[in-house]
Amino acid sequence: MSFLSPATIALAAGLTVPPLIALYFLKLKRSVRMVPSTLLWKKSVEDLHVNSPFQRLRSSVLLLLQLLILLLAALALGKPMLEMALAHESTIIILVDQSASMAVMEADGRTRLDMAKHQAKRVIDGMDEDSRAMVIAFCDRATVVSSFDTDRQALKRKIESIEQTQSASSLGEAMSLAEAYTQNIIIGSDEAGADRAPDSVAPPATVFIFTDGRVEDADKVTLQKFDVDNIHVTSVGKRADNVGIIAMNARRNYETPEILEVSTTIENFGPDPVALDAVLYIDGENVDVQSIELGPLPDAPGLGEEDHDSPVPTKRTEAADSVGVIAFDEIEFGGGGTVEVVLRIDDALSADNRAWSIIDEPRHVQVLLVSGGNWFLDSVLQTLPLTVEKMTPAQYEQADERDIQDGDRSRFDVVIFDDHSTARLPQGNYFFWGGIPTLDGLSRKDIIANEVIFNWDETHPVLRYVGVEALYVYEWHRLVLPPEAVSIIDGQSSPVLAYLSRDASQYLISAFSLIAYDEKGRPLMNTKWVTTADFVVFMQNTIQFLSGTTSIGARKSVRPGSPITLPIPGHSDEIKVHRPDGVVDRVPAVGFDNIHYARTRQVGVYRLDPGLSGNDVFAVNLFNEVESHVRPAEALALGAVTLTTKAASIQVNRPAWSYFLFGLLVLLLLEWVIYNQRIFV
Amino acid sequence: MAVATRKKPDELLDSDFMNRLDQLSLVSRKIFAGKMRGERLTKRRGASVEFADYRNYVSGDDLRHLDWNIYARLNKLFIKLFLEEVDLHVSVLIDVSKSMDWGDPHKGLYARRVAAAIAYIGLVNFDRVSLYGFADGLQFELSGVRGRRLMARVIDFLTKLEFAGAGDLAATGKQFAIRHPQPGIVLLLSDFVDKGGYEDGLRFLMARKYDIYALQILSPEEIDPRLAGDLRLTDMEDEDFAEVTVGRALLNRYKRNLEAYCGGLKDFCATRGISYMFTSTEVAFDQMVLSYFRKRGLLK
Repeated sequence: MSFLSPATIALAAGLTVPPLIALYFLKLKRSVRMVPSTLLWKKSVEDLHVNSPFQRLRSSVLLLLQLLILLLAALALGKPMLEMALAHESTIIILVDQSASMAVMEADGRTRLDMAKHQAKRVIDGMDEDSRAMVIAFCDRATVVSSFDTDRQALKRKIESIEQTQSASSLGEAMSLAEAYTQNIIIGSDEAGADRAPDSVAPPATVFIFTDGRVEDADKVTLQKFDVDNIHVTSVGKRADNVGIIAMNARRNYETPEILEVSTTIENFGPDPVALDAVLYIDGENVDVQSIELGPLPDAPGLGEEDHDSPVPTKRTEAADSVGVIAFDEIEFGGGGTVEVVLRIDDALSADNRAWSIIDEPRHVQVLLVSGGNWFLDSVLQTLPLTVEKMTPAQYEQADERDIQDGDRSRFDVVIFDDHSTARLPQGNYFFWGGIPTLDGLSRKDIIANEVIFNWDETHPVLRYVGVEALYVYEWHRLVLPPEAVSIIDGQSSPVLAYLSRDASQYLISAFSLIAYDEKGRPLMNTKWVTTADFVVFMQNTIQFLSGTTSIGARKSVRPGSPITLPIPGHSDEIKVHRPDGVVDRVPAVGFDNIHYARTRQVGVYRLDPGLSGNDVFAVNLFNEVESHVRPAEALALGAVTLTTKAASIQVNRPAWSYFLFGLLVLLLLEWVIYNQRIFV
Repeated sequence: MAVATRKKPDELLDSDFMNRLDQLSLVSRKIFAGKMRGERLTKRRGASVEFADYRNYVSGDDLRHLDWNIYARLNKLFIKLFLEEVDLHVSVLIDVSKSMDWGDPHKGLYARRVAAAIAYIGLVNFDRVSLYGFADGLQFELSGVRGRRLMARVIDFLTKLEFAGAGDLAATGKQFAIRHPQPGIVLLLSDFVDKGGYEDGLRFLMARKYDIYALQILSPEEIDPRLAGDLRLTDMEDEDFAEVTVGRALLNRYKRNLEAYCGGLKDFCATRGISYMFTSTEVAFDQMVLSYFRKRGLLK
């Protein structure tokens, strides 16, 4: 208990108590009555005094009560406060989780974010008069909602303005931000002036974190400045029942692209087994429904209690029955559109009950082969589901612009040059066998022969499922690459295969030709690799990689909050992005070939207007096991420190004058009763 | 009550009531010797027509009382003895202290009416009636009146009584006992609320072997006070005051104390042969005289 204005108590008591006592000294003004004799009255009064145990007290009990009443009134005027809040420094930092899992609707009809905001506002209410606070909201990135402020109302308004996102939680940036802000806290001043806190000293700040504990990067957070005792983690929410889509894959059948295959991985994060229906929609039309039963999630420890090396739950292998895959096969779908899978279940988190995938129309990749004649390339390209046009190098150089270009870009998805170097390179995707594009910083030197290939990047998409061990090349040209180029296959002294991306064009450059010519001009196989199946796979990978689309027809989705870069029509001044919530973002695009869009905090389908065909729609999916696992964590491990979360609500200093007033009224009533008992017959 | 309504407020007795009183006479439980021959037979042998006994003649006896018929028959001298008729001393002591000047109906008026009625009965029966007003001693006196014709003096005396001063029963009793050695009926009309106590006064009277009747007269306001709140109660007699906060508890305690006080007086009287009577001024005075006094044996 403390008093905000103790001086008022002294003033009020000083002004009222002495007059009351003085009045009692002056006594009551009694009315005079004549009686025949006071003999019996005096005797009666004496009897009463003798019979009452606290006769002295009884005579002045009204005075005592009135003094108490005055005292209570004076105390109430002193603004008494019940000190229930945690002791805190004069500087408070409030971190509020706004990630997807905070959208869980709890039993009382409030979301976790609402609860977190409420608790945060209670911290503000409990602030001392001279304290100041800042508010940081965090999801996959941290936002300073309010810098240090002492205005409680303004702080509460700022807290209320924190919006729900459907992004992942990342605490590291928020903690770094908080630490950065507290670096400049002035902890005191001396005659020389302000004295700043040295870096080695923990900033005198109390940190309140309001989260459900589902934080992806908790293990990466290092507490460099803050004292662990000054960090209070308040856990919000209780619900654990949630089923979510953690992966979705929609692809066209390789053989028959009109057939669509959609597989969805669903996990039950709740403690009870569930049975649910998954509905497949294509462009809003119900296409298929499948049922699935999932077992409960094994009693996995809270996130913070897990191994610090793997904050993301790895229990899928241990508890297969909580994870299931639904495959929608043999869906005939010839056009392009939006594929959506919806889980029919009423669970804690709705953001992970839907997943979208954008499917392109089934079409063959347009390939231009510029070659003087290459049997190997011809035959390989014929086996692939491609539309291939052929030109000789001379035809290509002389071709009309309309034949090879569509605006600034190449008319073809991929242009393959066989042993031909050229400078005619509109924006596009190029694969050079033996030749090189005429670009700054890129040149071809002497011929290297009889060297072995000893290093390659087997993780690169073009080398997926490709055996490079058997690749032997008789000779190739030494390549001089610009710094931004990436070597995919290295020979002993020079790159053999390199990748360069420049000015919205992609170049894959092979240092060797498929066919070499001997002194007499007879063609020879420069490598036997072309006769292997690896070559076919390599060509398939290369064309898929360069064309940016795959024959499976599905585009990659992005996670909430992740930025996306999309090519746009060159003449656009402004691109409208239609968000899933109906809001239209206007992105200026004058003079840009593509836009970078980062306001992807909601799951759903985003549409660009105007947009380039094939790049005008993208999907944002949660696909986040950490966020879908909505059961609040009991502890939060920040780096090496494990903080126990407190589920109890934040206690704030509450004004206690009402209790004093209530006591005052009770005493007043008591005084009235005693007074009446004395005077009424 | 019907009688009372015919009376003027300050009139002590009305004629109707006096007519009814004519039928009554005072009764003394003791036979007293009076100064004058009256209408009462005493145990003393004396000159009256009521034969009492015979005794042998001794020389010196009045020869007029010899029974000559006996002498004729027996030749012996016998003296005829007669019961002597004497008058009765009736003393009415009226408390005229200030405390009697109070109440509704008025205690003093009530006492004077009772005194008037008793005096009238006494006068009618040729008793020797003395009236006294006392406070801290005998202050007013009308002694030795006899005969109906003196009733006017009695009324005049009673009307002129003034209520003042504090009461002192002890001093009064002592004074009265000294001045009135003759036995007789003594009727004390008082509220008996005396700070000095009533015991000494009564003891002085008892020493003279009077036939004492004590009538305690209290007003309804004393018996059941209608007081409440913070009061300063002032004593009418001595200006003494009591500061009280009158509540239910105090009132109950007062009533219990009053009851005990009256009970104490009653017991005191009973153990000493004094007839104690209690009345509230609310009780109609004529009924009180006609029925209550007869019931208690003062009148017949």
